Amino acid sequence: MEGAFGLRPAAHVMMAALRTALRDSTVLLLTVMFLAMVLIAAYLGWAASNTVEQVYAAAVTSMKAHGQKPVDNPLHEMSALALLRNMSIYVALLGALAAIVFGHLVFATDRKSGVLPLVASRPLARTDLALGKLGAVAAAILFLTLFAAAVNVITLLILPNLLMTPALWARLAGFYAASALYMMAFGFLGLACAVYFRSESLALLVPVTLWLTLTFMMPQITANISPMAALNPLSATAAVPGGPFFAVTSTLLGPLSLAEAYRAVSSALLQLAPDNQPHQSFLGALAILIAAAMLTAAASIRAITRFDASRSDYRD
Amino acid sequence: MINAFPQIQTIAGKEVRDAMRTYIIVAVAGFLLLAALVALAVSGIALQAQVAAYNEGRDQLIALGQPVDNLPPPTFVPLALLRGFVEQIEIIGAVLGIVLGYRTAAIERGRNTLALVMTRPLSQAAFLAGKIGGNMVLIAISLALAFLAGALGIIWVAGVSLSFDEWLRVFLSFLAATAYAGSFFLLGMFLAFHLTRLPHALLYAFAIWLTLVLVAPQIGDTMDPDNQVAGGVFRKMGIAKAQEREILATFSTYEYTRNAIEEMSPAKHFERLTFALTGIKDTYTGMAIGSVLYEKQRDWLSLMGIFAALSLLVFWLPINFTRITKET
Repeated sequence: MEGAFGLRPAAHVMMAALRTALRDSTVLLLTVMFLAMVLIAAYLGWAASNTVEQVYAAAVTSMKAHGQKPVDNPLHEMSALALLRNMSIYVALLGALAAIVFGHLVFATDRKSGVLPLVASRPLARTDLALGKLGAVAAAILFLTLFAAAVNVITLLILPNLLMTPALWARLAGFYAASALYMMAFGFLGLACAVYFRSESLALLVPVTLWLTLTFMMPQITANISPMAALNPLSATAAVPGGPFFAVTSTLLGPLSLAEAYRAVSSALLQLAPDNQPHQSFLGALAILIAAAMLTAAASIRAITRFDASRSDYRD
Repeated sequence: MINAFPQIQTIAGKEVRDAMRTYIIVAVAGFLLLAALVALAVSGIALQAQVAAYNEGRDQLIALGQPVDNLPPPTFVPLALLRGFVEQIEIIGAVLGIVLGYRTAAIERGRNTLALVMTRPLSQAAFLAGKIGGNMVLIAISLALAFLAGALGIIWVAGVSLSFDEWLRVFLSFLAATAYAGSFFLLGMFLAFHLTRLPHALLYAFAIWLTLVLVAPQIGDTMDPDNQVAGGVFRKMGIAKAQEREILATFSTYEYTRNAIEEMSPAKHFERLTFALTGIKDTYTGMAIGSVLYEKQRDWLSLMGIFAALSLLVFWLPINFTRITKET
């Protein structure tokens, strides 16, 4: 069935949700914050690499003065993409939180404004409503991802001494695809919770708590990575301590550790530690990201199709 | 003249009773306790694995008839087991403060009780003092339970008893945590009482939390030249620590900027102080408490200064009761 302007109803729902979200200053604030962090990440990558070049020059002078033989610049052994490692930190922090808030607002706005009983009275299939809302979340995340990718492409093109091969560009594209998948998993989770819970506070608190658990608690249980170090993609290559406890937890809980999976994929694609392998295999970690996005999307569709529009308002 | 103390006491008591009825506060405090204890338990298990690996290596050397002197035993500082615990407090303790600060303003705004309360013979300062007092008690109780469980956890996991000096270090870390989480409470409350749209207050508070607790320390860390290469630039080049310091001395402006970004973060001050007090940072292991406090005065003064500045801001800027009514 096609609606006005030849668009399918789901596309109408998606466009309406995006228009409403763009008017919300909360969404704009988070978007601006994320985009600002993308620019900062690009600048930091450049500033840090530039400083290491200068440190290397100073080190060579110092080594010669001490009668030591200078060695090759270790920075040149690194992939050009390693410059972007801050990006994976900001995707895991701001990107995931922005996705949760956006996913929440896409449905919570309708619940609070009381339009859902009216929407339910129109000839609109629930699956179209669900697909439209999912499409809005996915479109917003793709916009954020494409902007971040464009900034990074420009950074890599204007920085001198960087040799970007087609294989490296493909890796960069892969990194952004994985980042979009990771953010979508949290966006769809925010959406599912906004539909499922009767209390708005719980609808926000549950996905944020899950994000905190997956980002800061789970890596500690499965690989003894401290909460602050858990943000750094290099921690994906840290050795898992020996002993039966970590053997059991990394086997049983590893597949649930979404943040670890994202770090492993980022670390492998950006070639952050070419000498060390992440403790999760690349394909295994990628499968976790895909499964998480698909499961949370399915949970959102299920929640929306079963939602009781006559009791749509939140209790708090 | 009205004696404000009973009024403050009444409001503070009501804050505590209200919060205990709200499952969200219990949930956040419970999550903090759980995360902190999981961190401690995992550290204990990792230490046991380290000890087992050492014993195995030593037994193999003895079986081969070789000397064990070259195999250093793992060092054990009981309070250093609190590393993950402190980091969880850093992250979730701040969230607890924000949620409490937001809640204390949101309940008044949601019920439109602010204007009514102010028709009573009650000064705004007494009203705010009651709110702050009650919530600081809640923060202190939540953190005291976490630190007590942490200290008892060390005794249980490591099978050692803590000396008076070590209990005192835990207590001082608890005080620092209370000032730290209290600052985020004041921030959450200030924003929720002053912004026209209530949901924005929560969002702005979380944006500040994200920037100061997670992003700023991370920027400082990733700007570290030594962190640009896996394994460290200087180690890869085979440069000793003394020579590294000599080289970095020529990059003082860069290092100053990096440190300044880290010092923007109250989380970093809390971390530096508690890591020094508990001996997690090995350069402070075994140092007397007085000396640690002297060396780390910049950090504890910053924590106290942030708390005092936010308190002043809360009392100094009057709440506009007509502008902020029901949640919009």
